[in-house]
Amino acid sequence: MSPSPLSRLQTSRRGLLAAGGALAATGLAGCGASGRKDVTFYQSKREIFDHIKMLLAELDAAQPQYRYVHDVASNLSAGFARRNPPDVALQNYNLEMSRFRERGGLSDLSDMEEASRIRDDIKDLADWYPPYPGRTSVLPWSVAGAAVIYNRAIFDEHGLSVPTTWSEFTALCTELQDAGVTPIYGTFADAWTLNQGMFDYTLGGMIDVRTFYEQVTEIGEEVGPNAEHSFSKDWQEPIARMLELLPFHQDDAPARTYNEGNTAMANGEAAMLLQGPWALPEIAKAETGAEMGMFPLPVTEDPADLKIRVNIDLALWIPEAADQPEGARELVKFFMQPEVQDTYNVDFLYLGTTKDAPPATDPRIVEMQSYYDEARYYMGASQFIPNTIPWANYLQAIVFGEKPETMLARLDSDWASLAYRA
Amino acid sequence: MSTASTSTAPRRMRAKVRYNVPATIILLVCAITVAIPLFVTINMSLKTTAQAVDGRAFTLPAPLSGDAFAEAWSLTDLPRALSVSIFITAIAVVGEIVISSLAAYAIVRNWHRRLFRWSFFYLLAAMFIPFPVVALPQVQMTGMLGLDNPVGVAALHIVFALAFNTMLFTAFLRSIPISLEESMRIDGASTWQVFWRLIFPLLGPMSATVGIFAFLQSWNDFMMPSLIISDPRLQTVPVLQSMFQDQFSNNYNVSFASYLMAMAPAIVAYLLAQKWVISGLTQGAVK
Repeated sequence: MSPSPLSRLQTSRRGLLAAGGALAATGLAGCGASGRKDVTFYQSKREIFDHIKMLLAELDAAQPQYRYVHDVASNLSAGFARRNPPDVALQNYNLEMSRFRERGGLSDLSDMEEASRIRDDIKDLADWYPPYPGRTSVLPWSVAGAAVIYNRAIFDEHGLSVPTTWSEFTALCTELQDAGVTPIYGTFADAWTLNQGMFDYTLGGMIDVRTFYEQVTEIGEEVGPNAEHSFSKDWQEPIARMLELLPFHQDDAPARTYNEGNTAMANGEAAMLLQGPWALPEIAKAETGAEMGMFPLPVTEDPADLKIRVNIDLALWIPEAADQPEGARELVKFFMQPEVQDTYNVDFLYLGTTKDAPPATDPRIVEMQSYYDEARYYMGASQFIPNTIPWANYLQAIVFGEKPETMLARLDSDWASLAYRA
Repeated sequence: MSTASTSTAPRRMRAKVRYNVPATIILLVCAITVAIPLFVTINMSLKTTAQAVDGRAFTLPAPLSGDAFAEAWSLTDLPRALSVSIFITAIAVVGEIVISSLAAYAIVRNWHRRLFRWSFFYLLAAMFIPFPVVALPQVQMTGMLGLDNPVGVAALHIVFALAFNTMLFTAFLRSIPISLEESMRIDGASTWQVFWRLIFPLLGPMSATVGIFAFLQSWNDFMMPSLIISDPRLQTVPVLQSMFQDQFSNNYNVSFASYLMAMAPAIVAYLLAQKWVISGLTQGAVK
């Protein structure tokens, strides 16, 4: 054996070690270089990363005590398990997130002046998920109002006005179809779009979502065909109505994804899309200049039943285990300033959560404001099913032709077995 | 094949070459399955956002734009993320090779002792425990020990790969004749010297194989760093890149640019390591 490959191997190994050591040194030197205390700030919703980064830079410059570390990568469950969660977070508020709150992982913010500025009905909205008694654990920061996104130009071209009853809506769809226009663009390949779109809209329009979940939670493991309330009983009618929407979608809807739906809307390939405000900036990305608007999906014959689907888009919270609760509170105060909070909601098409928040003026979401102010809204029914039950896939199966009774019965038994385990 | 050196030889040789048509077609198809996604990746990374969202992957970028690279660079803070990834990978590669080969050497040469035999089975048993199963206790333990950082991740990589690597090394070690070792001992070498001067160099090809596996695993790993590392500033490239994969938005151009930049070191390392493996194998073959 010649010695050269061996010696090469040894030198490069030494080289690697040296490089590793140097890196470790520089990495460690990066921490604590200034006298400021590090406060870790976690953010979900990556599309607003740049905006938040700018706000943090502003906050860093405004005070000398804390340095805010911008975190989009950490795993929250691991952080809480390690008793080392981020110091403060701005996060999508959903059922999975609410578990941390329910178990007392989040600190009480009720003594903050900012907490009293939140609208009472929005505070209540946060309590649709299991709260922790006696604490204001989360401050809702923005609310998403979702409904039917429609292309204004197509509506004008065919002389259509926004429908307020189910029969008006189906008549409108038929008219569009006769004119050779796809009424609704379906993106069934992404199961979540079915959940948040046609499912939540018909369910929310026809039943009282909150009361229903209170009932089935109480019935618990007895949920099934013989119970007073069950998924297969109470949801049968709304699901049947939802399926009536299917013929109004384009033929290749089962193969299309969320992103394709946004591009199609931007290109005027369909008149309507059942999506939330988060889709609007994506539609605008294609830079086609197509003008959009939104209206609630009518699912009954009474215009008084019209409601929009809302969810808490982002909420602020501070864990009990935060290392720097004071620094975290500084950040909450900064983010709750009207000029910071309202600017975000205006720029990203969300609805304000404070009593003094200005109404939305963007033509794309302006129609949502009155429903929001009059509390004519519901939270999406799909949002209250734990992730351990693959309901989105069950729903997709129904849309693809499976019998609704079969899938709803399965949901019943899944719900019952989860309740039995709890 | 003989090495033809006269000037007329190439023409005659070309006439003799026969193409294996089915094999060529199969190889072409295989090549295309790699080349097309790679083309799409490069193509998308050079587009503007407005063009990237139109869903047409094969249209050429117009206008040509390098913005995606700049944005990906700053969004993930690429120099820092790459340093952390390289740091973890370097420790994992070196650690896995050294520790597993030492363990394998001790086990093979003491196979007649029950303790060593059973410790081998004990190590092998770990192959049946995937990381996700023990993730939660690992998260808590590393947190308690102050190892919730890149060093902890590198250590966990070494430990989790120990089973498979030791198995590879033991199999290879058994093929090395003991007489080589005995001759060295007669000349007065200690066990330590025998290992570093004789056994470890002979293990070269296997070390290269283990090294490549270690490199790819630790470089591409998502789950372990995302769970173990608590300081977001010390996070690895794959975890930071997950910010481009969001249910509600897409940035194809930025994400593909970022993937390309993250791929570069892996490709370089792979090319180098591949050369090692081949040279190592042929050296052993023509003794």
